[in-house]
Amino acid sequence: MQPYLLGGLDPTVEPQPQPQPQPQPQPQPQPVNDLAPRGLLQLPAPYRPAPVTGPSRDPANGTDWQPITVGTPCLQFEPRPPRTISYRPDAVCDGWSTEHLTVRLASVRGYAHRHDGRPREDDAAVAYHEPTGTVLFAVADGVSSATEPYIGATLACRTAIDDLTYQLDEGHGVDLVRTVRAAAWQLAARVAGAGRQATAEHSQEAERRYATTLVAGTVSTGQHGVPEVSLVQAGDSGAWLLHRGSGYFERLLTTKDSTGEDVLSSAVTPLPRVSATLQPIHVRLLPDSVLLVGSDGFGDPLGDGTGDVAHLFAHHLRTPPPTHGVAHLLDFSRETFDDDRTLLAVWPRHLLPGE
Amino acid sequence: MSGNSGTLLPIYVMADESGSMNGNMPALNAGLAHLHLKLLAAPMAAAKVRFSVLGFADDAVQRMPLVDLRQQSEIPQLIARGTTSYEAAFQELLNRIPQDVDRLKADGYKVHRPAVFFMTDGLPNSDEDWISTHRRLTDRSVTKAAPNIISCGIGDADAQTIQLIATNPNFAFVSDGDRVGDAISSFCAALTQSVINSGTAMANGQAELIVEPPTGFRMVVDEI
Repeated sequence: MQPYLLGGLDPTVEPQPQPQPQPQPQPQPQPVNDLAPRGLLQLPAPYRPAPVTGPSRDPANGTDWQPITVGTPCLQFEPRPPRTISYRPDAVCDGWSTEHLTVRLASVRGYAHRHDGRPREDDAAVAYHEPTGTVLFAVADGVSSATEPYIGATLACRTAIDDLTYQLDEGHGVDLVRTVRAAAWQLAARVAGAGRQATAEHSQEAERRYATTLVAGTVSTGQHGVPEVSLVQAGDSGAWLLHRGSGYFERLLTTKDSTGEDVLSSAVTPLPRVSATLQPIHVRLLPDSVLLVGSDGFGDPLGDGTGDVAHLFAHHLRTPPPTHGVAHLLDFSRETFDDDRTLLAVWPRHLLPGE
Repeated sequence: MSGNSGTLLPIYVMADESGSMNGNMPALNAGLAHLHLKLLAAPMAAAKVRFSVLGFADDAVQRMPLVDLRQQSEIPQLIARGTTSYEAAFQELLNRIPQDVDRLKADGYKVHRPAVFFMTDGLPNSDEDWISTHRRLTDRSVTKAAPNIISCGIGDADAQTIQLIATNPNFAFVSDGDRVGDAISSFCAALTQSVINSGTAMANGQAELIVEPPTGFRMVVDEI
């Protein structure tokens, strides 16, 4: 399969000195405002992923790696290193396919944190439980008012994956509420220290240090081979089904954006608090849909799914992009949207280009 | 319009322009000019804030509409004049804030609850029912975009009145000393820090109004 990248960079071409440089017409990255707007119906059919361009003279430094601009871009600057007590990369991405599913994951530091020298406070984890053919995932968004939210986000994600793996290994099905409680307990246990029982006081201190949202869940193969999604939410990270044909983003979870209030509320109930009414949801991942799980850094600009950011993602996520392409896509530049962004996407495998 | 254009915090300064402020206007105008410069140096925070300046005396006057301060060359001057009509001040906010919020939303923005920094150096005109107007402004069942009001009293301002104006006990401040000019400078410095901190908090995904207590002021709640 020919590799491609969003923006049209061909990484397989080495830079070549040109004896007599001739201006070559270069395909320009398509402005989002021209993305057949409000017009998914106007997109070329059948859909083709971002075009593969001709040779690029400088693949490592070309303009193709500039952030995709949506409307007015954020300030441009070189990021400051994050001030942390442990290594925290600016971005992480992952991607692979199982027999039935294709997974892409990216988590990128927001422009504000890059500007201020703060770490990426989002995190995510995704794993495959081979014996049951189940994809396990977790997305977390550390609460900025906590002192070490990035540790909370990482701890919550890793614990969720560990707990889901354990439950599947045990063979008694998955209790997602238990998974959330396990993640909450782990935050308090880190405060308590090794070998000590976590108490309510430790939990209060964990809230001050490590408060984080969490969406955790599974994608398993259900009846007739249709993937089934189960997920649970603590805090205001979100999940959607992107309907590929219509470009409609079906909201699966309540977020601060969906309350219908006249002005925004900032209320969230993150871990280590666990709501007594926690209720997992279950949906089928039909062939025309893509599962998206994201932090509010993705959900806020997505909004009600009708704007330019929604069109950008609806266009590029109809089929699985290359792994690094998802990170590039997620790093789009749009003024006032400068929070960390994390996105997990899961497609039925048959949508993988070239298959 | 393109879906969600961003999330903004509208901030209003409603400053006393009554005659008794005459000698203090240079300090107040200099403080606002300094706020402008500080915000220009914090562009990530500035992008999330819209700022308006209003003055009140016999009536209320909009000195600067709700704008993006990065696009503004300077903040217009406040001018001392007339009496101290709190009613005019709150009526002006009651007229303007819902319109401003509607306009921002029509432009595709999501809007956080507006913040009003109210600063006065005296008692309200005695023949006015400003409390009813204030109640309509701050009652969220009447005014959906009812603002948070941070009130600062200097000079002859009455502590109990200042407390009535603030929408949260932690948002009411009166100056300790007799040096009104210093108090105004402190008010402006606290206002500047509150604006930048709130904008920065929003940039970090933490949507809240952060109010910096002015140096040399005390919280009125401490008196109760």
